[in-house]
Amino acid sequence: MDILTTIKDHLAEILDIEAEEITLETYLVRDLGVESIDFLELAVAFNSSLGIEIEDDEIFLANLRLYLKEAKEGKSDIVSYLAQKYPSLAKERLKQILQDLDDGPVLKVKDLVSYVSFRCQEG
Amino acid sequence: MPRRVVITSVGVVSSLGFSVDEIISRLKQKEIYLQRPSFDQDVVTCPVPSFDIKAFTGRFKNARYLNRGAQFCVASAMAAIKDAGFDEKPLSEAGLFVGVGPNLDISNECPQTRSGKIDSNALKALWILRFVPNTAASIISALAGIHGESLTLGTACTASLQAIGEAFRKIKDAYLDIALAGGGDSRLSQGGILAYRKAQALFSAKGDPEREYAPFDKNRNGFVPGEGGAFFLLEELEHARNRGANILVEICGSGSSMDGHSMTAPEPYGKWPEAAVVAALNEAQRSPDEIDVVSAHGTGTFLNDEMEATLIDRLYTKNRPKVIALKSWIGHISAACGAVELAVLLGCLKEGYLPEIRNLKEACHGRVNFVRQETNDSFNTIIIENFGFGGQNSALVIRKWNKSQ
Repeated sequence: MDILTTIKDHLAEILDIEAEEITLETYLVRDLGVESIDFLELAVAFNSSLGIEIEDDEIFLANLRLYLKEAKEGKSDIVSYLAQKYPSLAKERLKQILQDLDDGPVLKVKDLVSYVSFRCQEG
Repeated sequence: MPRRVVITSVGVVSSLGFSVDEIISRLKQKEIYLQRPSFDQDVVTCPVPSFDIKAFTGRFKNARYLNRGAQFCVASAMAAIKDAGFDEKPLSEAGLFVGVGPNLDISNECPQTRSGKIDSNALKALWILRFVPNTAASIISALAGIHGESLTLGTACTASLQAIGEAFRKIKDAYLDIALAGGGDSRLSQGGILAYRKAQALFSAKGDPEREYAPFDKNRNGFVPGEGGAFFLLEELEHARNRGANILVEICGSGSSMDGHSMTAPEPYGKWPEAAVVAALNEAQRSPDEIDVVSAHGTGTFLNDEMEATLIDRLYTKNRPKVIALKSWIGHISAACGAVELAVLLGCLKEGYLPEIRNLKEACHGRVNFVRQETNDSFNTIIIENFGFGGQNSALVIRKWNKSQ
């Protein structure tokens, strides 16, 4: 089964929604109402079915706001700084994220797919 | 004027149906639902067939944290709210009182236990919530928008009757005007059945259980475990009248006590169970002679029925009330028995109907007025008795509602 399908199936089961409602562009928090306990359940489910050890921050961008602050304080280039922290995300995606910050949590399904693909290639 | 408390809606999930009317109809048809579980053909259970919590709640993700007993709590609570017929969510100041049992479904909750190691990929991150007693209350509160005072009671087989009694007292004493109260339980899993078998409490006849499970019979030999749940909306009388609620019954008194005697067996004379019953009668300002019907705990275990029959004989000496044993129809629903029995009794009161104690041939006590054939007489005042492991005792007095009262 491909990575997107696996992720969609877990989201559908844990959130009690239809997998067809989920696309690569779906926002987890904004569209699906995912909250902290759901991230815990998703991490457990991904760990067991994908055979990789999920880093909660890297996959769910949990410390994104902290890294933005650090980059600002350290006068680093923000995109380069985030690219170090989130190596699974392309610079184009990081630029999109920066533009999207004001509208709420930025995490999309495609970010989970990127993370899992990256980790699988790595391993 | 003392504040009066009435019940204005009911939700129930039982082996005999998902509404009071459906249950009464099954009683009249003499239909019961018994099953020998696949993992143990020696025992008999009284399960709820075709239960899907989402039929009561709609889709919601946190259902994953509900053990089966908690599912019965949430389902029946939502059914009670639906039955109340509110236009919107008016329950923000309501109280919530929930009777629950333990989650004994060990083999499904820890499917890969080896040498004490229980972790596995199948366990949810918040697996703990399937064991925490107030998970049902938490979910009911979120689904129904309830934010008032709340208690979760784990007082064995008296838990749901006490939950209703506590809600009654909080309203009577003006801490609340409205409350949702009841309970749910299921112990029909392998772990639950093992627990009861080891305690030697289960009905164990090899013959046809439909003909042999017989509370208060001389040859009784244990109970048939059941499952289910029931919840009720309790309101202060004027609160109910002002919103034009459909008043079903008045709660008049509640009582409870502890035996302080044995972990499982009742104290044989029934001194402290009697204290709980008398406390409920006193609060209701009724003498024993004014009780028309005793809805007995009546499990069918040798010790309970002996103690309870002796107590009934001793206490109700003049007008011998009719004594019924609803467990002979729906099984023993443990923590939820009182709530589900109250739901059935609301239907009995409405219809002026009492079901016989099933299979009662030779009564264990000669002077007690056991109901041996169904009756269709009007009656007004009922006392419900529930006694539980640990020497927990409870009683609740209810009275039929007449508009002129």
